Amino acid sequence: MSSRKKTLLKVIILGDSGVGKTSLMQQFVNNKFSHQYKATIGADFLTKEITIDNNKQVTLQIWDTAGQERFQSLGVAFYRGADCCVLCFDVTNEKSLNNLTSWKDEFLVQSNVSNPQDFPFIVIGNKIDVDDSKKIPSLQKKLNNITNNQLGGLNYPVFETSAKDSINVESAFEVIAKMALQQEELNAANSNDVNDDYNDAINIHLDSESGGCGC
Amino acid sequence: MPTDQESSTISLNTSKVHLNPNSHNKLNGHQRNESSNSRSYSFLDYYGAESPPQISSGSTTIKKINGLDTESESIDPSTSLDVLDLKDDTLCADGDVINNSKSLDSEHRENYIQPINMASKSEILKSNFDRYGFKKGSTLHNITMEDYNEWFNIYSDSELRQLKKWHLLMKHHGFQIEENNNEEYIPTRFPPRSDKVKKMIRKGIPSSWRGNAWFFYAGGYDKLNKNTGVYEKIVANTRGIKNKDTEVIERDLNRTFPDNIYFNSNLSNNTDLKEEPNLIKSLRRVLIAFAHYQPQIGYCQSLNFLAGLLLIFMTEERTFWMLVILTEKIIPKVHSQNLEGVHTDQGVLILCIKEYIPSLWNILGKNFDGEPLEEDKILIRLPPITLVTSSWFMSLFVGILPIETVLRIWDILWYEGSKTIFRFSLTIFKLCLDSPDFQMNSQNGSSETEQIELFQFMQSFPKKLLDSNLLIDCCFKKIGGYGFGSLSQDEINRCRSFVSKQREKINQKNKNKSLTEMTDEEKTLIGNDIHDIYGFNRSIMSGMVWNKNIRKKLSSHKKK
Repeated sequence: MSSRKKTLLKVIILGDSGVGKTSLMQQFVNNKFSHQYKATIGADFLTKEITIDNNKQVTLQIWDTAGQERFQSLGVAFYRGADCCVLCFDVTNEKSLNNLTSWKDEFLVQSNVSNPQDFPFIVIGNKIDVDDSKKIPSLQKKLNNITNNQLGGLNYPVFETSAKDSINVESAFEVIAKMALQQEELNAANSNDVNDDYNDAINIHLDSESGGCGC
Repeated sequence: MPTDQESSTISLNTSKVHLNPNSHNKLNGHQRNESSNSRSYSFLDYYGAESPPQISSGSTTIKKINGLDTESESIDPSTSLDVLDLKDDTLCADGDVINNSKSLDSEHRENYIQPINMASKSEILKSNFDRYGFKKGSTLHNITMEDYNEWFNIYSDSELRQLKKWHLLMKHHGFQIEENNNEEYIPTRFPPRSDKVKKMIRKGIPSSWRGNAWFFYAGGYDKLNKNTGVYEKIVANTRGIKNKDTEVIERDLNRTFPDNIYFNSNLSNNTDLKEEPNLIKSLRRVLIAFAHYQPQIGYCQSLNFLAGLLLIFMTEERTFWMLVILTEKIIPKVHSQNLEGVHTDQGVLILCIKEYIPSLWNILGKNFDGEPLEEDKILIRLPPITLVTSSWFMSLFVGILPIETVLRIWDILWYEGSKTIFRFSLTIFKLCLDSPDFQMNSQNGSSETEQIELFQFMQSFPKKLLDSNLLIDCCFKKIGGYGFGSLSQDEINRCRSFVSKQREKINQKNKNKSLTEMTDEEKTLIGNDIHDIYGFNRSIMSGMVWNKNIRKKLSSHKKK
């Protein structure tokens, strides 16, 4: 089953609107930054092949999502089968930091992952290039508070990045890829007993346990 | 009584551009009138050579209607600068201070960009920007300036021929065409609906007429007459408010048309002072007013694209009412809090694909393991491709297709209604399937690879559809095209009501946790009389002639 997927790792980027999800993806995949990205409607993805660990070739399929809350009702389909979830906030926008928990919860509800307790999440605080005076006051403390108390204290890796100046983007995605690979291997090992019908279609909130209904 | 401080703030709001000595007179209303009649308009100097092509007398490409008021010229730049700094800290530029600026403000709101037909082609060809202020070439659009110019060179000729036909049509309907050498004739009323008018509209409304024609045929005058002064009031009441919606709006303003010179001052060559462009201010007011007027929608991302494009062609007030008409009548609930209309319309689109593009359904109508989706699962689990297409419906192709192609679809949409979105979505899909590039890629992959490839292809393919005539011909022509013009509004409406009923049931089921699927009656119907159940009239479409040459056309188009 898993060989079919040729170690395709599916990564979902979530976070409030305007935190820089598109920019992060573009910087990582195409090594470019533009002030000209438009607000993302729906969802896009890009792929990039990278080598991790010992010459292990993987393809990252990175999904960029719309940040406005109401779009969550559209996007749930591609959460399925994710191997890693990137929770993004903007270091100049405290609300976007506070919303990380709800993004995580939303993801877990919709993605239906088999191991919600240890599913790989990573936290990215973007826009560190911005002047310090505009940054969230006592960011570290607040961030620690959130990762420890609200994100379950599970030691999610945290990266502070600048998609604009290409700071830490590469290293963040390297970690993402490694975590995703672990998750993928875990899924592959379980694939015998879990019918992994991931993202075969958009799940619009209906349990589809209807196989046995009288046809 | 306004204090001194207040009044200088007021003036500043309408006069920011004047802070730049170079632009001092050039953006000025009365100056413009003079210059547009007599000499090459020097707005060009302000933006430098990279700016959109400008007027040489009588052949304006872009002109400002009712430019800035003269009153504001008297401000001392130094005081103004202080106020400017203050304002940078508070996002809402029009703070509470300004209560008596209404008259200045409202005059200001009459500003919009009006593309003109009689543009000198060479001016446009020389510029880095198109007639609407959009950058011609962009890595984001996969179209180079050379591509654009090559296309425009031919397209603009056909446009001029079309303009002459419009003049004839107007005369035929007894409209008086007042034309003098300097002012282009721009009608405000249009002929009543008829097959002839429909045909003309499908061939394209002259660019400078678009704003008026869209407004007229969409029923804008009705709305406006019934709501005199309403927009003005809402703007006054919502000035400076801050809430969840305005927060998102603020973030989206500069992410709407960053590639348009009227929405992004960074594109101009002048780097001294970056003023907030007038159209950004307009966009802010319209979106906030709309969110206030339609609280069940509030602000939904993608409305910024719709309002933004409308603002290039009409005033703020009219833009506002067009948004209202769109969300009330044409695509109801698409932008609502739960995006229910998007789900419904995507369900309808998928059923249309199943019905009318079987070859595409062969790809989409399977899960990733290649097993066909059961009939009653189609609406429950929409294929991933609907993540791409939902943005077509929400943004009405803005940012999806090249701008001129969007405008041509909008011509038809405001006249013919929402079936237009379905017709063109199907056409784009069909063109995609017929595209040689797609054919090469999708050979013997698994169902998953196939669908993912299709997804990726559909993300980029529409951006290259610069040839709007090809797209429109393919959509409507029965011979030599796909004949999707036969897909009727009635079919769409019936299908919409079917899908939305099914979705209601699904939601009910979710609540009740009793997993009854479609009723037995419906299931038996599906076996033999599927068209009735979805509301399709396939018989109408079955007569169409599928043209094998479209693929050839596409590849020759590509080679060009």
